[in-house]
Amino acid sequence: MIEYNLVASILTIAIVFGAVQGICAYSILAERKISAWLQERLGPNRVGPLGLLQPIADGVKFVLKEQVIPDHVDRVFYLVAPSIAVVTASIALCAVPVGRTTPAPVKPWTGTVAGEQQFLAQHGPEWKQTVEQYNDTYQFMIAPHLDIGFLFIFATGSLAAYAIVLGGWSSNNKYSLLGSLRASAQMISYEIPMGMAILGVVLFAGSLNPEKIIQDQADSGMWNIFYHPLACILFVTAVFAECNRLPFDLAETEQELVGGYHTEYSGMKFAFFFLGEYTHMVTTSLLVTLFFFGGWHFWGLNFDGFLGVVFKLIIFVTKMLAFIAFYMVIRWTIPRFRFDQLMGMAWKVFIPLTLINLLATLLVKHYGLPLLVLTPISLGLLLAAGWFTLVLPPEPQRSPIPFRPTSPTARTVMR
Amino acid sequence: MDFALSTYYPIFLFLAFLILFAIAGTIVPHLVGPQRITPVKQMPYESGMDPIGDARKRYDVKFYLIAILFLVFDVELLFLYPWAVSAYELFSEGALTALKEPIFWEVLVFLATLAVAYLYAWRRGVFKWR
Repeated sequence: MIEYNLVASILTIAIVFGAVQGICAYSILAERKISAWLQERLGPNRVGPLGLLQPIADGVKFVLKEQVIPDHVDRVFYLVAPSIAVVTASIALCAVPVGRTTPAPVKPWTGTVAGEQQFLAQHGPEWKQTVEQYNDTYQFMIAPHLDIGFLFIFATGSLAAYAIVLGGWSSNNKYSLLGSLRASAQMISYEIPMGMAILGVVLFAGSLNPEKIIQDQADSGMWNIFYHPLACILFVTAVFAECNRLPFDLAETEQELVGGYHTEYSGMKFAFFFLGEYTHMVTTSLLVTLFFFGGWHFWGLNFDGFLGVVFKLIIFVTKMLAFIAFYMVIRWTIPRFRFDQLMGMAWKVFIPLTLINLLATLLVKHYGLPLLVLTPISLGLLLAAGWFTLVLPPEPQRSPIPFRPTSPTARTVMR
Repeated sequence: MDFALSTYYPIFLFLAFLILFAIAGTIVPHLVGPQRITPVKQMPYESGMDPIGDARKRYDVKFYLIAILFLVFDVELLFLYPWAVSAYELFSEGALTALKEPIFWEVLVFLATLAVAYLYAWRRGVFKWR
């Protein structure tokens, strides 16, 4: 029987939550610094050496500022929405391994009670020993051996849409409402390709357990990116859209919607929305790392014992930070999409592409073809999709809609 | 592995901790910070213009269509997860090998019906965003 260790889980929660908050705070600083470098500015450099104390100053300011609750808002939901944002984004961290893990021992599935008893009669002591060995090793994640790991992560991740909808609706501001409508439509649209892109990986691993997926990659020494490059590209792009990062940040287009769904928020409640967004970024970076880039695995750096724990933590965190840096560089490189382009991309490009990719993966798996066949298939599909979009006749340009003030109020404004 | 309920304890522990954190974070700044209410601060911010009417207006039906379609595809995805986990782990050895082929064809049929629904929605212009 696998045991539960209260002290270990409290310690892990403290370490993981503290570390993620720290990473969030400093990635905001990093974001400002990187954007400054890309735009040839200096960026924050006044608080502490190189501006390194800026996040602390920001945090203190968020707490000490006046917390404005405007008159016109729906108070209950207005106050609850930021909390939902931060709680749903952080709870997904439960099922994400952040350092060294080993998959839990699995009893072969015999299908009958008699079969199981027979197995225990034959291999009883060995089985007991493996379980004890598993109990004695420390797993660097909050809820280890969670069989439904990825389902849990995706389920809690999609709850973040509630924060956005409630925040925008209860603010009773037109900008907020438009921003929240856009954001929720975008989030639910990109959730489907995101979930479908990893189905191929799940099919090959035969498990939703993150520890097992990492272990598989570590055992074979081949990261999933080599087999599923198309799925990786689709997943990363969908993750950008899920996090409302820049090429897809239609929810808070500053030029049109001021701040989107958090226009009416200030102080700590605004900080909670921000924190939720950055925590989401950290979680999804961890996800990309463990799905496609081998988690804590790196060739030639496979130690045991305490050194192994430290090394694997460092490898995992480095990969994650590399992704966060990638997020930020992309932010200042690619201009924003139009909203119809955004929705068209989710529904007309991503969903068929993920379906075809899944079908190809299924055929390879079913007919037992060598795994490396998948790489050319995957890349070929990507090229085919690109060629297809070039060949496709362009959609007819829509004619501009003439401005006709219809309502009496609008007419008075016009005059 | 045997099913162990204890796997889920840390999640609830973390959830309780997070809820406390969120409540504290919402209440404490209200006690610490200043409160100076002015009429302009209490107005909806619409780029400095005086707002006309409130935000409880009608909005585009497109968002509703997208939500309905999302439901269809998300439920489909939920059916595919258990299949992807068990299809080649559970049914490839032991007593259930005979089920491997039928499951393969059934999933193909399932994906085909999904494709038909998808093409129908496309033809009806649901994905056209105007």
